[in-house]
Amino acid sequence: MNRVTALAVSVVCIGLVVAQDVAPLADFFHTWQYATALALGALVLIAYANAALKGQDGMLGKRCTLAIAGALVVTLTGIVSGLLGPDTQRVTHAPGTVAPIPDLHAAAFFTAADAQSIAAGNAPIVIRRPGHRDVEVGPNERRFLQSSVLLLQPTHAAFVEVRDASGDRLTVTQPTNASFLSPVLLFPNEQEIAGKKLPFDTFAVPALQRVVKTVYLPGEMTTSLRVPPSYAGKPALLFAVDDDRGSSHGIVIAPDGLDVTIAGMRLRGTIGSYPTLVVASAPEPIALAAGVALFLAGITWMLIGFVAGRPAALTVKSPSGS
Amino acid sequence: MRTFLAAAAAIVAVLVVIAFYPGGGPKLNLNATGGPRMLAGAPAQSFPVKRIDGAADGLDRYRGQVVVMNLWATWCPPCREEMPALQKLYEEYHPRGVIVLGVDQGEASRVAAKYAREHGVTYPILIDEDQQYGRAYAAVGLPTTIVIGRDGHIVKGIDGQLTLAQMREALAPALRAQ
Repeated sequence: MNRVTALAVSVVCIGLVVAQDVAPLADFFHTWQYATALALGALVLIAYANAALKGQDGMLGKRCTLAIAGALVVTLTGIVSGLLGPDTQRVTHAPGTVAPIPDLHAAAFFTAADAQSIAAGNAPIVIRRPGHRDVEVGPNERRFLQSSVLLLQPTHAAFVEVRDASGDRLTVTQPTNASFLSPVLLFPNEQEIAGKKLPFDTFAVPALQRVVKTVYLPGEMTTSLRVPPSYAGKPALLFAVDDDRGSSHGIVIAPDGLDVTIAGMRLRGTIGSYPTLVVASAPEPIALAAGVALFLAGITWMLIGFVAGRPAALTVKSPSGS
Repeated sequence: MRTFLAAAAAIVAVLVVIAFYPGGGPKLNLNATGGPRMLAGAPAQSFPVKRIDGAADGLDRYRGQVVVMNLWATWCPPCREEMPALQKLYEEYHPRGVIVLGVDQGEASRVAAKYAREHGVTYPILIDEDQQYGRAYAAVGLPTTIVIGRDGHIVKGIDGQLTLAQMREALAPALRAQ
Protein backbone atom coordinates (compact mmCIF):
# COMPACT_ATOMS: atom_id res chain seq x y z
CA MET A 1 0.00 0.00 0.00
CA ASN A 2 1.40 3.43 -0.86
CA ARG A 3 1.46 6.64 1.10
CA VAL A 4 -0.95 8.51 -1.19
CA THR A 5 -3.63 5.85 -0.71
CA ALA A 6 -3.18 5.93 3.07
CA LEU A 7 -3.45 9.73 3.13
CA ALA A 8 -6.52 9.64 0.88
CA VAL A 9 -8.19 7.12 3.22
CA SER A 10 -7.23 9.37 6.17
CA VAL A 11 -8.88 12.38 4.56
CA VAL A 12 -12.04 10.40 3.75
CA CYS A 13 -12.30 9.02 7.32
CA ILE A 14 -11.69 12.44 8.89
CA GLY A 15 -14.22 13.96 6.49
CA LEU A 16 -16.86 11.41 7.46
CA VAL A 17 -16.36 11.89 11.21
CA VAL A 18 -16.32 15.70 10.93
CA ALA A 19 -19.51 15.47 8.85
CA GLN A 20 -21.07 13.38 11.65
CA ASP A 21 -20.10 16.09 14.10
CA VAL A 22 -21.67 18.78 11.90
CA ALA A 23 -24.87 16.83 11.16
CA PRO A 24 -25.26 14.27 13.97
CA LEU A 25 -28.95 13.69 13.20
CA ALA A 26 -28.41 12.42 9.65
CA ASP A 27 -29.60 8.81 9.50
CA PHE A 28 -26.49 7.63 7.65
CA PHE A 29 -24.27 8.24 10.68
CA HIS A 30 -26.34 5.80 12.73
CA THR A 31 -26.12 2.85 10.35
CA TRP A 32 -23.84 -0.19 10.31
CA GLN A 33 -22.69 0.81 6.81
CA TYR A 34 -21.11 3.98 8.22
CA ALA A 35 -19.43 2.01 11.01
CA THR A 36 -18.16 -0.56 8.50
CA ALA A 37 -16.70 2.14 6.27
CA LEU A 38 -14.82 3.60 9.23
CA ALA A 39 -13.68 0.19 10.45
CA LEU A 40 -12.31 -0.72 7.00
CA GLY A 41 -10.64 2.69 6.82
CA ALA A 42 -9.02 2.05 10.21
CA LEU A 43 -7.68 -1.32 9.00
CA VAL A 44 -6.16 0.30 5.91
CA LEU A 45 -4.49 2.94 8.06
CA ILE A 46 -3.14 0.37 10.53
CA ALA A 47 -1.75 -1.74 7.69
CA TYR A 48 0.07 1.26 6.18
CA ALA A 49 1.38 2.48 9.55
CA ASN A 50 2.69 -1.03 10.31
CA ALA A 51 4.63 -1.13 7.05
CA ALA A 52 5.87 2.46 7.35
CA LEU A 53 7.17 1.95 10.88
CA LYS A 54 9.23 -0.99 9.56
CA GLY A 55 10.87 1.47 7.15
CA GLN A 56 9.20 0.16 4.00
CA ASP A 57 8.24 3.73 2.94
CA GLY A 58 11.46 5.50 3.88
CA MET A 59 11.92 8.56 6.09
CA LEU A 60 8.80 10.31 4.75
CA GLY A 61 6.74 7.19 5.46
CA LYS A 62 7.86 7.19 9.10
CA ARG A 63 6.89 10.88 9.41
CA CYS A 64 3.60 10.14 7.69
CA THR A 65 2.67 7.71 10.51
CA LEU A 66 2.11 10.72 12.82
CA ALA A 67 -0.61 11.95 10.43
CA ILE A 68 -1.99 8.42 10.15
CA ALA A 69 -2.12 8.18 13.96
CA GLY A 70 -4.19 11.40 14.03
CA ALA A 71 -6.54 10.02 11.39
CA LEU A 72 -6.88 6.79 13.40
CA VAL A 73 -7.81 8.73 16.54
CA VAL A 74 -10.53 10.56 14.59
CA THR A 75 -11.75 7.32 12.95
CA LEU A 76 -11.93 5.44 16.25
CA THR A 77 -13.75 8.43 17.82
CA GLY A 78 -16.39 8.09 15.11
CA ILE A 79 -16.75 4.33 15.64
CA VAL A 80 -16.87 4.65 19.45
CA SER A 81 -19.55 7.36 19.32
CA GLY A 82 -21.77 4.93 17.46
CA LEU A 83 -20.98 1.95 19.69
CA LEU A 84 -21.19 3.70 23.06
CA GLY A 85 -23.42 6.69 22.27
CA PRO A 86 -27.19 6.50 22.62
CA ASP A 87 -29.68 5.84 19.86
CA THR A 88 -31.07 9.11 18.55
CA GLN A 89 -33.99 10.16 20.74
CA ARG A 90 -36.46 12.99 20.38
CA VAL A 91 -38.00 13.76 23.75
CA THR A 92 -41.18 15.82 23.77
CA HIS A 93 -42.64 16.77 27.14
CA ALA A 94 -44.96 19.42 28.49
CA PRO A 95 -43.45 22.57 30.01
CA GLY A 96 -42.66 22.22 33.71
CA THR A 97 -42.25 18.43 33.57
CA VAL A 98 -39.23 16.14 33.92
CA ALA A 99 -38.21 13.34 31.57
CA PRO A 100 -35.61 10.70 32.38
CA ILE A 101 -32.79 10.21 29.86
CA PRO A 102 -31.50 6.75 30.91
CA ASP A 103 -28.71 6.65 28.31
CA LEU A 104 -27.10 9.69 29.94
CA HIS A 105 -28.09 8.82 33.54
CA ALA A 106 -29.71 12.25 33.51
CA ALA A 107 -33.05 13.98 33.73
CA ALA A 108 -34.28 16.67 31.35
CA PHE A 109 -36.19 19.53 32.99
CA PHE A 110 -38.55 21.10 30.50
CA THR A 111 -38.78 24.66 31.73
CA ALA A 112 -42.13 26.25 32.53
CA ALA A 113 -43.56 28.28 29.67
CA ASP A 114 -46.12 31.06 29.59
CA ALA A 115 -47.82 32.65 26.59
CA GLN A 116 -44.85 35.01 26.02
CA SER A 117 -42.20 32.30 25.98
CA ILE A 118 -44.32 30.10 23.69
CA ALA A 119 -44.70 33.07 21.29
CA ALA A 120 -40.94 33.79 21.44
CA GLY A 121 -40.00 30.09 21.19
CA ASN A 122 -37.02 30.67 23.47
CA ALA A 123 -37.62 28.18 26.30
CA PRO A 124 -34.46 26.24 27.26
CA ILE A 125 -34.18 22.69 28.59
CA VAL A 126 -31.96 21.93 31.60
CA ILE A 127 -30.11 18.61 31.92
CA ARG A 128 -29.36 17.48 35.47
CA ARG A 129 -27.03 14.62 36.45
CA PRO A 130 -26.13 13.58 39.98
CA GLY A 131 -22.77 15.08 40.95
CA HIS A 132 -22.48 17.29 37.86
CA ARG A 133 -23.27 20.87 37.01
CA ASP A 134 -26.57 21.58 35.28
CA VAL A 135 -26.31 21.87 31.50
CA GLU A 136 -28.71 24.35 29.91
CA VAL A 137 -29.50 23.83 26.24
CA GLY A 138 -31.00 26.86 24.52
CA PRO A 139 -32.40 27.35 21.02
CA ASN A 140 -29.66 27.12 18.33
CA GLU A 141 -27.19 25.68 20.86
CA ARG A 142 -25.36 22.35 20.93
CA ARG A 143 -24.05 20.80 24.10
CA PHE A 144 -21.79 17.74 24.22
CA LEU A 145 -22.29 15.24 27.03
CA GLN A 146 -20.24 12.05 27.07
CA SER A 147 -20.62 10.56 23.56
CA SER A 148 -23.77 12.55 22.86
CA VAL A 149 -24.76 15.87 21.44
CA LEU A 150 -27.85 17.61 22.80
CA LEU A 151 -29.79 20.11 20.76
CA LEU A 152 -33.28 21.53 20.54
CA GLN A 153 -35.74 21.34 17.67
CA PRO A 154 -38.73 23.68 17.79
CA THR A 155 -42.15 22.04 17.58
CA HIS A 156 -45.51 23.74 17.06
CA ALA A 157 -47.06 24.80 20.35
CA ALA A 158 -49.93 26.96 21.53
CA PHE A 159 -50.75 28.34 24.96
CA VAL A 160 -54.51 28.34 25.46
CA GLU A 161 -56.47 30.49 27.88
CA VAL A 162 -60.16 29.92 28.51
CA ARG A 163 -62.55 32.33 30.22
CA ASP A 164 -66.24 32.10 30.94
CA ALA A 165 -68.84 34.64 29.85
CA SER A 166 -67.98 36.94 32.78
CA GLY A 167 -64.26 36.85 31.95
CA ASP A 168 -63.10 34.53 34.76
CA ARG A 169 -60.29 32.08 33.95
CA LEU A 170 -61.24 28.41 33.71
CA THR A 171 -59.09 25.32 34.24
CA VAL A 172 -57.72 23.66 31.11
CA THR A 173 -56.95 19.93 31.25
CA GLN A 174 -55.51 17.43 28.80
CA PRO A 175 -56.95 14.09 29.91
CA THR A 176 -55.40 12.15 27.02
CA ASN A 177 -51.90 13.61 27.30
CA ALA A 178 -48.99 12.97 29.64
CA SER A 179 -49.37 16.35 31.33
CA PHE A 180 -52.94 16.55 32.63
CA LEU A 181 -52.88 20.15 33.81
CA SER A 182 -50.95 21.79 30.97
CA PRO A 183 -52.47 24.69 29.02
CA VAL A 184 -49.70 24.24 26.44
CA LEU A 185 -50.72 22.19 23.41
CA LEU A 186 -47.90 20.36 21.62
CA PHE A 187 -49.93 18.89 18.73
CA PRO A 188 -48.68 15.29 18.77
CA ASN A 189 -51.40 14.05 16.37
CA GLU A 190 -52.12 14.67 12.69
CA GLN A 191 -55.35 14.97 10.74
CA GLU A 192 -55.90 15.38 7.03
CA ILE A 193 -57.85 18.50 6.06
CA ALA A 194 -58.14 19.73 2.46
CA GLY A 195 -55.49 17.22 1.38
CA LYS A 196 -52.97 18.39 3.99
CA LYS A 197 -51.86 16.62 7.12
CA LEU A 198 -52.29 19.12 9.94
CA PRO A 199 -51.18 18.81 13.57
CA PHE A 200 -53.93 18.70 16.17
CA ASP A 201 -54.36 18.36 19.92
CA THR A 202 -57.29 18.22 22.33
CA PHE A 203 -58.03 19.88 25.66
CA ALA A 204 -60.98 19.90 28.03
CA VAL A 205 -62.69 22.61 30.04
CA PRO A 206 -64.22 20.53 32.84
CA ALA A 207 -66.00 23.43 34.53
CA LEU A 208 -68.21 23.76 31.43
CA GLN A 209 -68.06 20.09 30.32
CA ARG A 210 -66.43 21.08 27.01
CA VAL A 211 -63.89 19.22 24.90
CA VAL A 212 -62.00 21.36 22.38
CA LYS A 213 -60.19 19.81 19.44
CA THR A 214 -57.54 22.26 18.26
CA VAL A 215 -56.03 22.09 14.77
CA TYR A 216 -52.89 24.04 13.89
CA LEU A 217 -53.44 25.90 10.60
CA PRO A 218 -50.21 26.95 8.84
CA GLY A 219 -49.93 30.44 7.38
CA GLU A 220 -50.53 29.37 3.78
CA MET A 221 -53.99 28.04 4.74
CA THR A 222 -55.19 31.21 6.47
CA THR A 223 -54.91 33.35 3.33
CA SER A 224 -58.15 31.79 2.05
CA LEU A 225 -59.95 31.86 5.40
CA ARG A 226 -62.11 34.53 6.99
CA VAL A 227 -59.62 36.15 9.35
CA PRO A 228 -58.78 39.84 9.91
CA PRO A 229 -56.59 41.06 7.00
CA SER A 230 -53.57 41.63 9.22
CA TYR A 231 -53.68 37.95 10.30
CA ALA A 232 -53.98 36.46 6.80
CA GLY A 233 -50.94 34.38 5.92
CA LYS A 234 -50.08 33.82 9.60
CA PRO A 235 -50.69 30.60 11.53
CA ALA A 236 -54.02 30.27 13.32
CA LEU A 237 -55.91 27.70 15.37
CA LEU A 238 -59.16 25.98 14.54
CA PHE A 239 -61.21 25.22 17.65
CA ALA A 240 -63.91 22.55 17.29
CA VAL A 241 -66.00 22.44 20.48
CA ASP A 242 -67.98 19.43 21.68
CA ASP A 243 -69.62 18.78 25.03
CA ASP A 244 -68.56 15.74 27.03
CA ARG A 245 -71.44 13.72 25.55
CA GLY A 246 -70.02 14.28 22.04
CA SER A 247 -72.54 16.87 20.76
CA SER A 248 -70.96 19.55 18.60
CA HIS A 249 -71.08 23.20 19.73
CA GLY A 250 -69.46 24.67 16.64
CA ILE A 251 -66.16 25.51 15.02
CA VAL A 252 -64.24 28.79 15.07
CA ILE A 253 -60.93 30.00 13.67
CA ALA A 254 -58.75 31.87 16.14
CA PRO A 255 -55.91 34.04 14.83
CA ASP A 256 -52.78 34.12 16.98
CA GLY A 257 -53.43 35.92 20.29
CA LEU A 258 -56.99 37.02 19.47
CA ASP A 259 -60.00 36.16 21.66
CA VAL A 260 -62.83 34.22 20.03
CA THR A 261 -66.16 33.37 21.62
CA ILE A 262 -67.83 30.00 21.18
CA ALA A 263 -70.17 27.78 23.25
CA GLY A 264 -70.19 30.14 26.23
CA MET A 265 -66.38 30.38 26.35
CA ARG A 266 -63.81 32.99 25.40
CA LEU A 267 -60.79 31.20 23.93
CA ARG A 268 -57.36 32.64 23.18
CA GLY A 269 -54.50 30.71 21.64
CA THR A 270 -50.99 32.13 21.57
CA ILE A 271 -49.11 30.35 18.80
CA GLY A 272 -45.38 29.68 18.80
CA SER A 273 -43.05 26.84 19.54
CA TYR A 274 -41.70 24.75 22.39
CA PRO A 275 -38.51 22.69 22.09
CA THR A 276 -38.15 18.98 21.58
CA LEU A 277 -34.89 17.69 23.07
CA VAL A 278 -32.81 15.69 20.61
CA VAL A 279 -30.10 13.39 21.96
CA ALA A 280 -27.82 11.88 19.33
CA SER A 281 -24.50 10.11 19.42
CA ALA A 282 -21.64 12.33 18.23
CA PRO A 283 -17.86 12.13 18.19
CA GLU A 284 -16.20 13.34 21.39
CA PRO A 285 -15.12 16.90 20.41
CA ILE A 286 -11.83 16.93 22.34
CA ALA A 287 -10.69 13.61 20.85
CA LEU A 288 -11.82 14.79 17.43
CA ALA A 289 -9.87 18.06 17.71
CA ALA A 290 -6.79 16.24 19.05
CA GLY A 291 -6.91 13.75 16.17
CA VAL A 292 -7.24 16.46 13.53
CA ALA A 293 -4.39 18.43 15.15
CA LEU A 294 -2.19 15.32 15.15
CA PHE A 295 -3.03 14.69 11.49
CA LEU A 296 -2.12 18.27 10.50
CA ALA A 297 1.09 18.11 12.57
CA GLY A 298 2.06 14.87 10.80
CA ILE A 299 1.39 16.37 7.36
CA THR A 300 3.44 19.45 8.25
CA TRP A 301 6.31 17.31 9.57
CA MET A 302 6.25 15.21 6.43
CA LEU A 303 6.27 18.31 4.19
CA ILE A 304 9.22 19.73 6.10
CA GLY A 305 11.06 16.46 5.56
CA PHE A 306 10.08 16.47 1.89
CA VAL A 307 11.36 20.04 1.31
CA ALA A 308 14.55 19.45 3.33
CA GLY A 309 15.22 16.18 1.54
CA ARG A 310 14.87 17.47 -2.04
CA PRO A 311 18.37 19.15 -2.51
CA ALA A 312 20.04 16.13 -0.90
CA ALA A 313 18.26 13.81 -3.27
CA LEU A 314 19.36 15.91 -6.27
CA THR A 315 22.94 15.93 -5.04
CA VAL A 316 22.99 12.17 -4.68
CA LYS A 317 21.30 11.57 -7.98
CA SER A 318 23.52 13.89 -10.10
CA PRO A 319 26.66 11.66 -10.32
CA SER A 320 24.66 8.58 -11.32
CA GLY A 321 22.75 10.65 -13.89
CA SER A 322 25.97 11.89 -15.60
CA MET B 1 0.57 -17.72 9.15
CA ARG B 2 0.95 -14.29 10.86
CA THR B 3 -0.63 -12.55 7.88
CA PHE B 4 -3.54 -15.00 8.01
CA LEU B 5 -4.07 -14.37 11.74
CA ALA B 6 -3.91 -10.57 11.25
CA ALA B 7 -6.47 -10.76 8.44
CA ALA B 8 -8.75 -12.98 10.52
CA ALA B 9 -8.49 -10.61 13.51
CA ALA B 10 -9.33 -7.66 11.25
CA ILE B 11 -12.39 -9.41 9.85
CA VAL B 12 -13.58 -10.32 13.36
CA ALA B 13 -13.07 -6.69 14.47
CA VAL B 14 -15.19 -5.41 11.59
CA LEU B 15 -17.92 -7.99 12.31
CA VAL B 16 -17.97 -7.00 16.01
CA VAL B 17 -18.40 -3.34 15.04
CA ILE B 18 -21.27 -4.26 12.71
CA ALA B 19 -22.95 -6.56 15.23
CA PHE B 20 -22.92 -4.12 18.13
CA TYR B 21 -23.55 -0.93 16.19
CA PRO B 22 -26.89 0.52 17.24
CA GLY B 23 -29.12 0.89 14.26
CA GLY B 24 -32.01 3.00 13.31
CA GLY B 25 -33.22 6.49 13.00
CA PRO B 26 -34.84 8.80 15.50
CA LYS B 27 -37.05 7.42 18.24
CA LEU B 28 -39.90 9.40 19.73
CA ASN B 29 -40.17 9.32 23.51
CA LEU B 30 -43.48 10.53 24.88
CA ASN B 31 -43.36 8.71 28.21
CA ALA B 32 -45.25 10.24 31.06
CA THR B 33 -43.32 11.20 34.17
CA GLY B 34 -45.23 8.57 36.17
CA GLY B 35 -47.49 10.84 38.20
CA PRO B 36 -46.88 12.49 41.59
CA ARG B 37 -45.80 9.25 43.31
CA MET B 38 -42.54 9.34 41.35
CA LEU B 39 -41.57 12.73 42.82
CA ALA B 40 -40.63 11.50 46.32
CA GLY B 41 -37.18 12.81 47.22
CA ALA B 42 -37.07 15.52 44.55
CA PRO B 43 -36.73 19.20 45.49
CA ALA B 44 -40.11 20.94 45.61
CA GLN B 45 -40.48 23.57 42.89
CA SER B 46 -42.04 26.93 43.69
CA PHE B 47 -43.70 29.47 41.42
CA PRO B 48 -44.75 33.00 42.39
CA VAL B 49 -48.55 33.28 42.49
CA LYS B 50 -51.18 35.20 44.47
CA ARG B 51 -53.40 34.23 47.37
CA ILE B 52 -57.16 34.65 47.14
CA ASP B 53 -56.79 37.93 49.05
CA GLY B 54 -54.45 39.22 46.31
CA ALA B 55 -51.21 39.01 48.33
CA ALA B 56 -48.10 37.62 46.62
CA ASP B 57 -47.25 34.10 47.73
CA GLY B 58 -45.58 30.86 46.65
CA LEU B 59 -44.47 27.55 48.08
CA ASP B 60 -40.94 28.79 48.86
CA ARG B 61 -42.38 31.13 51.50
CA TYR B 62 -43.10 28.07 53.63
CA ARG B 63 -39.59 26.57 53.50
CA GLY B 64 -38.64 25.16 56.91
CA GLN B 65 -42.17 23.95 57.61
CA VAL B 66 -43.91 20.72 56.74
CA VAL B 67 -46.36 21.55 53.95
CA VAL B 68 -49.37 19.57 52.75
CA MET B 69 -50.03 21.08 49.32
CA ASN B 70 -53.37 20.21 47.76
CA LEU B 71 -53.99 20.93 44.08
CA TRP B 72 -57.71 21.45 43.48
CA ALA B 73 -60.42 23.29 41.53
CA THR B 74 -63.99 24.23 42.37
CA TRP B 75 -65.44 22.23 39.44
CA CYS B 76 -63.80 19.01 40.71
CA PRO B 77 -66.27 16.93 42.82
CA PRO B 78 -63.65 14.81 44.67
CA CYS B 79 -61.71 18.01 45.50
CA ARG B 80 -64.83 19.49 47.07
CA GLU B 81 -65.55 16.28 49.01
CA GLU B 82 -61.97 16.25 50.33
CA MET B 83 -61.87 19.84 51.57
CA PRO B 84 -63.58 19.33 54.96
CA ALA B 85 -60.95 16.70 55.83
CA LEU B 86 -58.17 19.08 54.76
CA GLN B 87 -59.69 21.80 56.93
CA LYS B 88 -59.72 19.39 59.93
CA LEU B 89 -56.10 18.42 59.21
CA TYR B 90 -55.15 22.10 59.16
CA GLU B 91 -56.90 22.76 62.49
CA GLU B 92 -55.27 19.69 64.07
CA TYR B 93 -51.69 20.14 62.82
CA HIS B 94 -51.28 23.89 62.30
CA PRO B 95 -50.41 24.42 65.97
CA ARG B 96 -47.56 21.91 65.41
CA GLY B 97 -46.16 23.99 62.53
CA VAL B 98 -47.75 22.13 59.62
CA ILE B 99 -49.08 24.22 56.74
CA VAL B 100 -51.98 23.07 54.62
CA LEU B 101 -51.88 24.92 51.32
CA GLY B 102 -54.64 24.76 48.71
CA VAL B 103 -53.48 25.61 45.18
CA ASP B 104 -56.40 26.28 42.86
CA GLN B 105 -55.64 25.19 39.30
CA GLY B 106 -56.52 27.56 36.51
CA GLU B 107 -59.49 29.40 37.98
CA ALA B 108 -60.14 33.03 38.76
CA SER B 109 -59.40 34.24 42.29
CA ARG B 110 -62.99 35.40 42.69
CA VAL B 111 -64.36 31.90 42.05
CA ALA B 112 -61.98 30.15 44.48
CA ALA B 113 -62.45 32.85 47.17
CA LYS B 114 -66.23 32.55 46.99
CA TYR B 115 -66.03 28.78 47.36
CA ALA B 116 -63.61 28.96 50.32
CA ARG B 117 -65.74 31.56 52.08
CA GLU B 118 -68.97 29.62 51.60
CA HIS B 119 -67.44 26.35 52.84
CA GLY B 120 -65.53 27.68 55.83
CA VAL B 121 -62.04 27.00 54.46
CA THR B 122 -59.48 28.94 56.51
CA TYR B 123 -56.17 27.46 55.31
CA PRO B 124 -54.24 29.54 52.72
CA ILE B 125 -55.47 29.20 49.14
CA LEU B 126 -53.15 30.15 46.25
CA ILE B 127 -54.42 30.96 42.76
CA ASP B 128 -52.37 29.30 40.02
CA GLU B 129 -54.07 30.56 36.86
CA ASP B 130 -51.35 29.22 34.55
CA GLN B 131 -51.47 25.78 36.25
CA GLN B 132 -47.71 25.78 36.83
CA TYR B 133 -47.90 23.74 40.03
CA GLY B 134 -50.12 21.14 38.39
CA ARG B 135 -47.59 20.62 35.61
CA ALA B 136 -44.51 20.68 37.82
CA TYR B 137 -45.99 18.17 40.26
CA ALA B 138 -46.97 15.76 37.48
CA ALA B 139 -50.66 15.82 38.38
CA VAL B 140 -52.51 13.17 36.43
CA GLY B 141 -55.83 14.30 37.86
CA LEU B 142 -57.38 16.41 40.63
CA PRO B 143 -57.11 16.43 43.56
CA THR B 144 -53.37 15.82 43.92
CA THR B 145 -51.68 16.07 47.31
CA ILE B 146 -47.97 16.63 47.86
CA VAL B 147 -46.31 16.38 51.30
CA ILE B 148 -43.13 18.48 51.53
CA GLY B 149 -40.60 18.14 54.35
CA ARG B 150 -38.85 20.91 56.26
CA ASP B 151 -35.81 20.53 53.98
CA GLY B 152 -37.90 21.54 50.94
CA HIS B 153 -37.90 18.03 49.44
CA ILE B 154 -40.99 16.07 48.49
CA VAL B 155 -41.84 13.31 50.97
CA LYS B 156 -44.85 11.92 49.17
CA GLY B 157 -47.06 12.64 46.16
CA ILE B 158 -50.57 11.21 46.04
CA ASP B 159 -53.10 11.20 43.23
CA GLY B 160 -56.81 11.25 44.14
CA GLN B 161 -59.11 12.00 47.03
CA LEU B 162 -57.91 11.23 50.59
CA THR B 163 -59.68 10.67 53.87
CA LEU B 164 -58.50 12.39 57.05
CA ALA B 165 -56.90 9.11 58.20
CA GLN B 166 -55.01 8.78 54.92
CA MET B 167 -53.84 12.39 55.23
CA ARG B 168 -52.51 11.77 58.75
CA GLU B 169 -50.74 8.64 57.51
CA ALA B 170 -49.14 10.54 54.60
CA LEU B 171 -48.01 13.32 56.93
CA ALA B 172 -46.43 11.04 59.55
CA PRO B 173 -43.05 10.40 57.82
CA ALA B 174 -42.50 14.15 57.32
CA LEU B 175 -43.22 14.84 60.99
CA ARG B 176 -40.95 11.99 62.13
CA ALA B 177 -38.09 13.45 60.04
CA GLN B 178 -38.09 16.68 62.07
